[in-house]
Amino acid sequence: MKVTEVVRQWSRAGLMIIIVVVATLEASSILQYTFSRKGMQQEANNRAESQLEAAQNKIMDIINQAEAAVRNSVWIVEWCMSVPDSLHRVAQRIVQDNPVVVGSTVAMVPGYLPDRPLYSPYVFQAPGGDLRFSSLATEEYDYPAQEWFYKALENESGYWSEPYIDTGGGDILMTTFSMPVKDSKGKTAAVLTADISLDWLTDLVGNMTVYPNAFNMVVSRSGQIMVCPVESLVMNHTINDLISRMDDTSATRELNRALLSGESGHTNIKYNGRNDFVYFSPVERTGWAMSIIIPEDEIFRNLKNVSLMVTIFQILGIMMLILMFRSMYRHYEQNKKLNEKRERMEGELNIASGIQMSMVPKVFPPFPERHDLDMAADIVPAKEVGGDLYDYFIRDEKLFFCIGDVSGKGVPASLVMAVTRTSFRNLAAREDSPSAIVRIMNDSLSAMNESNMFVTFFCGVLDLQKGHLRYCNAGHNPPILLTSSMQMLPVEANLPLGIMSGMEFKEQEMDFHYDDALFLYTDGLNEAENSAHEQFGEDRMKKALHGRKGAYEHLKTVEAQVRAFVGEAPQSDDLTMLFIHYLGKDKDIFGTHLVLHNDIRQVSRLQDWLEALSPGLGIDETLVPGLNLALEEAVTNVINYAYPEEGYGSVELDVSREGDELRFVLSDSGKAFDPTAKPEVDISASVEDRPIGGLGIHLVRQIMDSVSYERKENMNILTMTKKIQ
Amino acid sequence: MEVKITRDASCVTASLVGRLDTPASVEAAPMFEELKADAAGTIVLDCSELSYISSSGLRLFLTIRKAASEKGGKVIVRSINNEIRAVFMMTGFLNLFEIQ
Repeated sequence: MKVTEVVRQWSRAGLMIIIVVVATLEASSILQYTFSRKGMQQEANNRAESQLEAAQNKIMDIINQAEAAVRNSVWIVEWCMSVPDSLHRVAQRIVQDNPVVVGSTVAMVPGYLPDRPLYSPYVFQAPGGDLRFSSLATEEYDYPAQEWFYKALENESGYWSEPYIDTGGGDILMTTFSMPVKDSKGKTAAVLTADISLDWLTDLVGNMTVYPNAFNMVVSRSGQIMVCPVESLVMNHTINDLISRMDDTSATRELNRALLSGESGHTNIKYNGRNDFVYFSPVERTGWAMSIIIPEDEIFRNLKNVSLMVTIFQILGIMMLILMFRSMYRHYEQNKKLNEKRERMEGELNIASGIQMSMVPKVFPPFPERHDLDMAADIVPAKEVGGDLYDYFIRDEKLFFCIGDVSGKGVPASLVMAVTRTSFRNLAAREDSPSAIVRIMNDSLSAMNESNMFVTFFCGVLDLQKGHLRYCNAGHNPPILLTSSMQMLPVEANLPLGIMSGMEFKEQEMDFHYDDALFLYTDGLNEAENSAHEQFGEDRMKKALHGRKGAYEHLKTVEAQVRAFVGEAPQSDDLTMLFIHYLGKDKDIFGTHLVLHNDIRQVSRLQDWLEALSPGLGIDETLVPGLNLALEEAVTNVINYAYPEEGYGSVELDVSREGDELRFVLSDSGKAFDPTAKPEVDISASVEDRPIGGLGIHLVRQIMDSVSYERKENMNILTMTKKIQ
Repeated sequence: MEVKITRDASCVTASLVGRLDTPASVEAAPMFEELKADAAGTIVLDCSELSYISSSGLRLFLTIRKAASEKGGKVIVRSINNEIRAVFMMTGFLNLFEIQ
């Protein structure tokens, strides 16, 4: 998946997450709000109703006291009826004995007493608590016309008057409970009353509040406002007046009706642009209605606060989420840019790697036409590009070769490597002395070395004709010399290249013989570490080089062993190896063992080999061409059939003589191939019928006395014998 | 290995110089491919300076011989040494070519 795609999906995912989170939060808020509101409404209902009940209980308590005072005194009035002048005592007792009663009278029915058409002695509490006596039987008061009087005559069980301002007594707001009193003959004779001040009602009801801004109101049965926080309304207005100021809705009309008809319940109304909840309930017997008015805002104030807080937190949370996603998005955008940059750099590095690898000779075998040299080289960079180098070429029958390791790794090292290798090529093209090559390279590398990088370098010139090696080592690991034994090539302690210009480098030399070999390497080999931080080291290196193989096989063996040693540990340094096997000069000491590479041109070496060995093995020279032919055919078969693909491999040939029999053993590690299984070619066929191929093995059979094949340990082994006497 | 081709009115002569071993045959193959164009006439393979031949070389000879047989031409192998004669014998080539 491309990076841009990832970013797009992420930002889309981010948007989705934000939307889902917002939706979930909102839904839960709405639910919570709804349920809380219901709960709060219920709570308000409960509180209002219980308060209404409590207020009613208190009111009823007082009402009952007043009623009881009257009822309990009715019989005394009946009893004292015959002595009207004593009737004020009844009233006095009622007032004295009942603290809630502020005034009382026994009002005679007009005309009942023959001598006194109107008679109503009145006892009341003056402000300060003293009892005063007066008479209500005055012309201006005209008690029979008072509601408390005439209504009582119509209600045998007593009657609570509309509240009124007492003008006869203490100018207080009061209401009167009055009850008719009958004489012994059953005729209504008088009305006994108890006045109760409504001040306590205001105190009682006005102080009971469920919510800070809620208020209570009591209205009389005619709609007079008895208790109200706005004092100017008390006794001056009816509830009708008040309600008519409200928005005329079915709710207000219903409230009006409900209040006046003694129902209980609740409704909500609009007043002065605000919503109020009104709870109402009648006060038994008095015809009053009590109501509690709670502004809607009060009920839901907490809910509003909580909702506001929740909303603020939600907005903050969502903002944080958005910021988070924004920064994530930016982060991905940055990553995207970095990735693009990295991809570009990786691409460039790959190209650089290709260029660098093309700078070192990679063809194997490098000199297939030469019989005096078997060599192979390999470089395994730890990163895309590295600082290791090797090079070789033949000029004037001399092999010029070098190996080097630039300090540091990566691109900087690779640039110095390129310069070093170019410099070697140019100098070695005209200069024969390795010390001169190294000295001039050192001067030019030192001159432009501003980054203080240096190169350990080994340069050798092998005279292939004379078998003479001249070499110069500039601080590089000493190569391993493989003669009949194996030892480090003695090297002078010269400084590496690039440290200081004007230096002289000591040159060394030695004779090189047939079958001598030189193994050059960089410290990526001997210092290769396994996961336990052990180094591959010299001993393992020498062990890996043991035995005689083709140069390429040697490198592959060492490489396999170092890889097995390192295991899972990452390669920390470039690994470069160069194997030079000299097969020239002293032809007369040709060994009986010949290694040929998987290259058809190598078969030409067979002639030299046979000619060199013939005298020692006592082979008559007339036999050489035939043996040469048979061996060439056998080797060609291996190269063509055992190694069908392009690739490395070798063919090894051993010869021995036992008695008068020569024994040739040809072995290779190619795929299984049995040349003896090929059908015999028909040599008598006509031109048209003659197959083009199949002559090779036929010739081998013709020339040799016996040919046998076996497959052993993944090797093809062809044994051929020939009697020579 | 060297192949020198000379043409005259009657025939085309290819003079083979050196060893016609396997790598040399690979080198010489294009020359023999060219020779096939003359297979309708007479082709002389002059072996007086040819010291050695392997089966790859024999195959080149055989392709020319097959081409001549197809086109009605003629192949003459001239002046082979004893070693090559022995190889020709072993492979039945003596019967396939006119040896001079």
